[in-house]
Amino acid sequence: MAFREKSAWVMAITLLIGAIVYFYLVASADWPIVAKLPAFVVYTAVLIALATIGHIAIAVFSPKEANASADEREKQIAHRASHIASYVLGAGVLLGILIYLVVPLGDVLFYVVFASLMLSHLADYVAQIVLYRS
Amino acid sequence: MAKRPPIENRVRELRNAHGGMTQLELADAIGVTRQTVIAIEQNRYSPTLESAFRIAHVFGVGLDEVFSWSEDSD
Repeated sequence: MAFREKSAWVMAITLLIGAIVYFYLVASADWPIVAKLPAFVVYTAVLIALATIGHIAIAVFSPKEANASADEREKQIAHRASHIASYVLGAGVLLGILIYLVVPLGDVLFYVVFASLMLSHLADYVAQIVLYRS
Repeated sequence: MAKRPPIENRVRELRNAHGGMTQLELADAIGVTRQTVIAIEQNRYSPTLESAFRIAHVFGVGLDEVFSWSEDSD
């Protein structure tokens, strides 16, 4: 397995865990939900730490590949996966706007857009894995 | 990737004819990963024109001796 595919696995698993925790916390929060900066910072820092640890772990076993730049196929896969992810982000933001028109709460809009951002990144890495394996 | 490109190649055959050159050696020679060489050999990926020329150059043959159009895909 190429280093970048391993990297995509690390990011997909990290973001999947992050998404599960995120939706659990949002679903179990008291309504109307309020966006809190400290919680957002801690959540993002934990995700970055998990992704960094995962990447260090895979880089230890393939240091040469970890330092190499992406080749033509890897760039093409990244480009196609980003294209797919852009639709997820767009759909999420559109959903957020529509929800805002019905329920004009900025905090809800924040959570919908943040979820869209996270799901679009998850879609990006899942698409990369699928493209690497097809 | 998902849809197989309509181009066949003799990369594996040429590697074997060149003293059993490994996929990694070929990958290093043309500047791609071993996984990309595997994808090319399995006809899951069509290399760029530059990489196609690099592969032909490594084997010392013309481009048309490495790659050919698959009539079945026409």
